Amino acid sequence: MEIYLPIAGLSVHWLAVLGMGASVGFLAGMFGVGGGFLLTPLLIFYGIPAEVAVATTASHLTASSMAGAVAHWRRRVIDFRMAGVMLAGGVGGSALGVQLVALLRRVGQADLVVSVGYVLLLGSIGTLMLNESLRALRLAKTDARPVAMERHHWIHALPVKMRFYTSRLYVSAIPALALGAVVGILSSVLGVGGGFILVPAMIYLLRMPPNVVVGTSLVQIVTITATTTVFQSISNYTVDAMLALFLVLGGVVGAQYGVRVAARMQGEILRLMFAILILAVGARLFYGLVITPREIYAITAGTP
Amino acid sequence: MKWLLAFLLASLAIPALAEDLVSGLSQDRIQITSNYHGTDMVVFGAIELGESHGAQAAERDVVVVVRGPAANIAVRRKARVVGVWLNRDSIRLYGMPGYYYVASNRPLAAIARAATLARYQLGILTLKPKGESTRLPRKGEPFRLAAIRIREHRGLYAEAPGRVEFLSAELFRVHVPIPASAPRGEYNVNVYLVRDGTVVSAQTTPLFVDQVGLERQLFNFAHDRPLGYGLATAIMAILTGWASSFLFRRQG
Repeated sequence: MEIYLPIAGLSVHWLAVLGMGASVGFLAGMFGVGGGFLLTPLLIFYGIPAEVAVATTASHLTASSMAGAVAHWRRRVIDFRMAGVMLAGGVGGSALGVQLVALLRRVGQADLVVSVGYVLLLGSIGTLMLNESLRALRLAKTDARPVAMERHHWIHALPVKMRFYTSRLYVSAIPALALGAVVGILSSVLGVGGGFILVPAMIYLLRMPPNVVVGTSLVQIVTITATTTVFQSISNYTVDAMLALFLVLGGVVGAQYGVRVAARMQGEILRLMFAILILAVGARLFYGLVITPREIYAITAGTP
Repeated sequence: MKWLLAFLLASLAIPALAEDLVSGLSQDRIQITSNYHGTDMVVFGAIELGESHGAQAAERDVVVVVRGPAANIAVRRKARVVGVWLNRDSIRLYGMPGYYYVASNRPLAAIARAATLARYQLGILTLKPKGESTRLPRKGEPFRLAAIRIREHRGLYAEAPGRVEFLSAELFRVHVPIPASAPRGEYNVNVYLVRDGTVVSAQTTPLFVDQVGLERQLFNFAHDRPLGYGLATAIMAILTGWASSFLFRRQG
């Protein structure tokens, strides 16, 4: 049965959308990520306008991160105070990002910025992960341990210090606010949750205890993607609720099975596969930017 | 001056001759459900043949035009910049019909001269916007043609020569396909009677196209109350995520 996506403005088969949500959810559960950076390009390849894909993916991330956040909340490993500070930054970042999207749409460059942004993002993250997983595989063979690096504590020189009880930290709120803002912008412009930046930044930059990091970042992703959904609806009218519903339903089910499969696989192999997948998606987007399009003209109706 | 005179004569002639053309629609209001493959409308009519029929029957043609509501569109052209294709030039076309369908009993080129077809905008290539954001016609022309080409590809603009069927010497009928993507609003159905390459009679009937169904309601909700729509979507996602963790815990 065909369903019509009222905001995207095209008919799709409901199984195709449900399947996309489920497969991205499966991969997300398997690799322990939100999967926004896979879902948005997939939707664009399918023919959904880039700005609708970006805005609607946020809902998929809200749902899948919510499922994870509830699990962490049961174990009481969430620093809500930290999540609150980051959300404050995130609301600002998201509002800014949504305005940026509106501006790009007016000048007709939203597709380009999304594609180029993804090529850079996926290219750099994919390369980093590929290197890291290959090194980990080599180390696993020689049974050597990586040497922990000591980092400079410039964070502790910043003002506006706050006490975070759950994380047992007394640090400045500024890096957390800035981190939230960066993730907010990424979420509204590229439709990603930002977990791939949040998690390492919380461990290495904010020095949060690793057991608190995942739950806290999930709470942050739930709140920021929900905020972005509301902002995009108000400013750009690009959230497709029909598309969101099918992606969300597929996503939450797929994620559960992904988690189960991941439990039976070797971590390094999993990360290597993930790195290759990311690079493949990035390469496909890059290809789309450089090949000669079949139709070099495009029309936008309803412009003033 | 000559043109103006012809126009005046034509506008005077139409009411007098309107008697020999009568037309109607199968519906004056069309409701299309978005997840549907559009709908079909029938325009029918009759021509009064007058005294000397038979001799004139061969030279008389019927052209039916259905026009959707006019709206502004932006047309953008991509160009390669350091290897990457991006939108470079753009112009706006003001007041292009959102839907256009022209049917005739034989090819338009055989019915009247190009100048006549252009004056009545018969044929998709004769469609002109009410205005353009550029003053240079040569610059705007490829953009206008591209807009027509894209809309033709989407089934919004179409030419159907030979689709006006004569059921008898006097009665004619044409099926007009209205695709699901047709814009909602006030449409006009124009029926022209052409004799020896001259439009001798014309009749206009309004038609209202509305989109109905759940998808349309969602679209209206998104545009009329964006805050409520955004909140509802976000809450839907949060609740689904929460419910899934609950369901799967029970199961596992």
